[in-house]
Amino acid sequence: MGKVMIIDLSICNGCHNCQVACKDEHVANDWSPIAKPQPDTGQFWTKVINLELGTVPKVQVTYHHSICQHCEDAPCLEACPQKAIYRRTDGVVIIDPGRCRGNQLCLEACPYENVIYFNDDLNIAQKCTFCAHLLDQGWSETRCSDACPTGAFTFGDEDDPKIKEKIAVSELLKPELPTRPRVYYLNLPKKWIAGAVYDKEADECTEGATVTATNAATGEKVTTTTDNYGDFWLKNLSDGAYTILIEKPGYLTQKLGPIDATSKDQNLGDIVVWKA
Amino acid sequence: MKRPPNAAGETTIVRDISWCGVFNGANASMVDVKDGKIIRIRPARYYERYTKEEVKPWVMHARGKTFEPSDKSLVPPLSLAYKKRVFSPARIRYPMKRIDWDPKGERNPQNRGTSKYVRISWDEALDLIAAEMLRIKKTYGPTAILNQSDQHGENKVVHGPHGCMRKLLTQFGGYTLQIRDADSWEGWWWGSKHVWGCEPVGQQVPQSNLLYDISKNTELLLFWGCDQETTVWGWQGQLTSRLSYWWTELGIKQIYIAPDCNYATAVHADKWIPILPNTDAALYLAICHEWFENGTYDKEYLETHAYGVDKFEDYVMGREDGVAKSPEWAGPITGVPSRIIKALAAEWASKRTTICIGNGGPGIRGPYATEPARLQSICLGMQGLGKPGCNQAKMIEWGLLDNMEQMSPPAPAILTDLHAAYTGSTPMLTNHPSFIPKTLVPKAILQGNCDWYGNESEFTSRENQFVHYKYPADGCSKIHMIWTDSPSWITCWNNGNDFIRAMRHPDIEFILCQHPWIENDALFADIVLPINTILEEDDIGSDIFSGQMNLLFPEDRCIEPLGESVSDYEAVCRIAERLGLLEQYTGGRTIPELIKIGYETSRVAHLISWDELREKGYFVVPTDPDWESIPAGLVKFYEDPEKYPLSTPTGKLEFYSTGLAEHFADDPERGPVPKWIPIGPSHEETLGTERAKTYPLLVMSNHPRWGVHSQHDDVTWLREIETCKVRASDGYQYHPLWINPADAEARGIDNGDVVSVFNDRGTVLAGAYVTERIMPGAVGIDHGAKYDPVVPGEIDRGGAINTIVPRNTTSKNACGHAVSGFLVEVEKADLEDLNAKYPEAFARTCHVAAGPCIAGVTEGGA
Repeated sequence: MGKVMIIDLSICNGCHNCQVACKDEHVANDWSPIAKPQPDTGQFWTKVINLELGTVPKVQVTYHHSICQHCEDAPCLEACPQKAIYRRTDGVVIIDPGRCRGNQLCLEACPYENVIYFNDDLNIAQKCTFCAHLLDQGWSETRCSDACPTGAFTFGDEDDPKIKEKIAVSELLKPELPTRPRVYYLNLPKKWIAGAVYDKEADECTEGATVTATNAATGEKVTTTTDNYGDFWLKNLSDGAYTILIEKPGYLTQKLGPIDATSKDQNLGDIVVWKA
Repeated sequence: MKRPPNAAGETTIVRDISWCGVFNGANASMVDVKDGKIIRIRPARYYERYTKEEVKPWVMHARGKTFEPSDKSLVPPLSLAYKKRVFSPARIRYPMKRIDWDPKGERNPQNRGTSKYVRISWDEALDLIAAEMLRIKKTYGPTAILNQSDQHGENKVVHGPHGCMRKLLTQFGGYTLQIRDADSWEGWWWGSKHVWGCEPVGQQVPQSNLLYDISKNTELLLFWGCDQETTVWGWQGQLTSRLSYWWTELGIKQIYIAPDCNYATAVHADKWIPILPNTDAALYLAICHEWFENGTYDKEYLETHAYGVDKFEDYVMGREDGVAKSPEWAGPITGVPSRIIKALAAEWASKRTTICIGNGGPGIRGPYATEPARLQSICLGMQGLGKPGCNQAKMIEWGLLDNMEQMSPPAPAILTDLHAAYTGSTPMLTNHPSFIPKTLVPKAILQGNCDWYGNESEFTSRENQFVHYKYPADGCSKIHMIWTDSPSWITCWNNGNDFIRAMRHPDIEFILCQHPWIENDALFADIVLPINTILEEDDIGSDIFSGQMNLLFPEDRCIEPLGESVSDYEAVCRIAERLGLLEQYTGGRTIPELIKIGYETSRVAHLISWDELREKGYFVVPTDPDWESIPAGLVKFYEDPEKYPLSTPTGKLEFYSTGLAEHFADDPERGPVPKWIPIGPSHEETLGTERAKTYPLLVMSNHPRWGVHSQHDDVTWLREIETCKVRASDGYQYHPLWINPADAEARGIDNGDVVSVFNDRGTVLAGAYVTERIMPGAVGIDHGAKYDPVVPGEIDRGGAINTIVPRNTTSKNACGHAVSGFLVEVEKADLEDLNAKYPEAFARTCHVAAGPCIAGVTEGGA
């Protein structure tokens, strides 16, 4: 009966309750043998990452989350010569604060970002415990999932049918790794290309124009239509460079690009179309 | 019987951890305590002691989907992190006296804000306080004491953090009361009341069932300067967040109009329309112009529901002043392209539209705020205000004023009430011997006199705005002493630098302050009394603002009071005792008796016994079984304006305000018809003016995301969040200033640089947060940062932007404050130069993670 966490980025409002509740639980509270106290600042056993996407006025924020993935094949566990890292029967991976000698090999071994921290004062490595001390008291939630107001965090047993349903449609953070994490994500950010089409001569937003993005490498096409503000958002794009075609009967077709949506989302700004 | 500890030895105590300030609370939290230590603070679980069948939560059905309250309270991080506020390095644990204030010799008022404090005993403090009070009363009369009891503080009941001194001062002989202006409501209060009445706030009332109405009927939501992911946190929690996601799921389009991509825009917006700060009046006018020109408004409705439309139309169409308020006219003023204005006007006219407001916001708190607020009401009127799906809906203050008509969410069967146990002062009380609107206190002290209209209370009605008052009132004294609690003037009201000068004025012989933390105005007091926090006191609390389930709960203290701190009520009791007034002040009632009185008069005592309440720890108030049938918003006025008129003189929507026409017909700043006022006798704070050549950026100052007004600014777990503080090269955590990359680049500013934000009223240092979340031409800085003086009254390091906001009020005859939408310039600060010039200020001890702290202002530790 392994524990799993599912994080839905599409309903994370960025309130940071998870990050703060984790600190409330672990700073200045000693949960040995599960965990020693976390330093007051600087460590984030569950961390909210603020991704500001786009440019004025096409701006969105996605809040990403870093947390220990509690891997079935945990590189940190293998890397520790002290055998201070162990996996419980419920799958939770724990760094035993009593055995850790501070050699920090686990920090190097972990392939994920913002997961294992080093506590200089205690000379130990520390990370998320899925609040195992609370699970052992009968809690059904971790502090972060308990504190989440929107339901972006779901914590539970992997055998629970409701959890299974969610896992079936979820993604992994680094699917290419053989680590078999116990943390799943819904709605990981995908790139978008957006813009606003208008008729300068008429001083009018151009509604109903067809906008097509074509991936230069794969030929994959994504199409949308401009709304009453002339706005278009081409969402869920794969990485790559795109050519953009803007078409509307009675107007000259506009071609833009290639636009590279590999490293960041792209706002093409205001695009003028001319009557044919 | 109290519930015994759980298997882990922890006792759970339900507490109201909110900051709306008076006796009705929110953010019910469960505090787990063990061996005198706070282990954790977590959301309250409604069903730990009750079943869902007992509670019967409401369920909203709309468009084939359902929505119901969560099983837990939706508290913000501000509540979860409150341990850090309790144990802040800024806590005041002992009485303190300013080292060079000697009531028998030199008082050194000019050193307030720079000279340090020494610890004294409670006895010495009380001796000094009683002697000063008696001397001042004898010399000048009791009205020489300014009673500041309206500021931003914690939520308590029996220990009232606001104005416990008011009752004592009444018994002592009198006082001059500082009256809170209708801050965060000012535009609606001083403006919209003249269009639609809606007493006493000026925002739409009734609000009843508007969340349900939106869910069922609205097609378009305009969040106008509204951030329901921020402003509501301290008041009620996060139901608005869940609702906003649900509305998206229902297919209700959400457009956000503000200079910034605020925290709600960031995650909920279908479209963000950036607008230059405080230019909203021009946008509303251009929308009206489109509607008049194209006939796309509800003419029939206006014939029966409105008054003076023709005069308004004359102004809009340019027949009055020769300037048509067209989209092409508004484009350059607002920064919103004319084509977008036209598209917005067309969409609004074609869809059932509700405007969502969340108090304050960049659309309403600026100079001449009456104008955008009135125009907002008028725009709603032109599209059939009150029609299902067409209202002004509040995202905040649900259940305000003990009034079910303020309840936008599904109504509870009973609104609990704890006012009988409340020992603080309530703003509703009027008939003071002498008073000054809060916004005019600096002027009153610095100038020695002033006069104004209205504002006898923030809850008086429209007619009070026509009554003239003056300071000093006839037969009353000028101010010579200030007694303040929960002080936050400097960082929350108009031109804090003027207030600093007032506090250092030689007329002010004695400043007494009671507060848990050494911060803001407390830095200028002569005697500071140590007050404890909500978690250190026995009390009784409620949660009535969450919109979810309402709760009542007895509140046991979680820990013993820190140091020699006592509650505000207990501190005033001690002073009362010195003055021989203790019995009279308390009425012989003990704290446990007051708590019991709170329960007995809570309106739910017949539903649960005291013993059962103690045993369970909380009571969940059931939902009104008939909540769905409560008429939504202004639907009755919509259907029958004759039978259900508004409270305006004509009973109609006054596009031409008859009250203003009668009393202030020639007022160029708030005339009978609302206008775009780029410049006037009170303010010159828009682009295109002469001042804008020197100060070319417009400041948008929102209510803070990571605190409630002045509160929470020392919480280390919040300060390390990237939008909360910016740690600069000197290690100091500066308050962030949002600046667009284009404006930053033009000034050679990089992300993380320390910048000077300045105008002719002073300088504030901030940390540059270079971001696309703010439009070019505007800069954003939340108000409420802790004031950290470099030169008191001139330069601040803490980021208290209110030190340089306009000194004048909303307009000449409307004494609200104007705290957003004003001009500054921003440049990269030269830290080396500042350090060399002001070595003492920059060397002041500052906590590495919590910021300014008590060690920085005390001698010999306190």
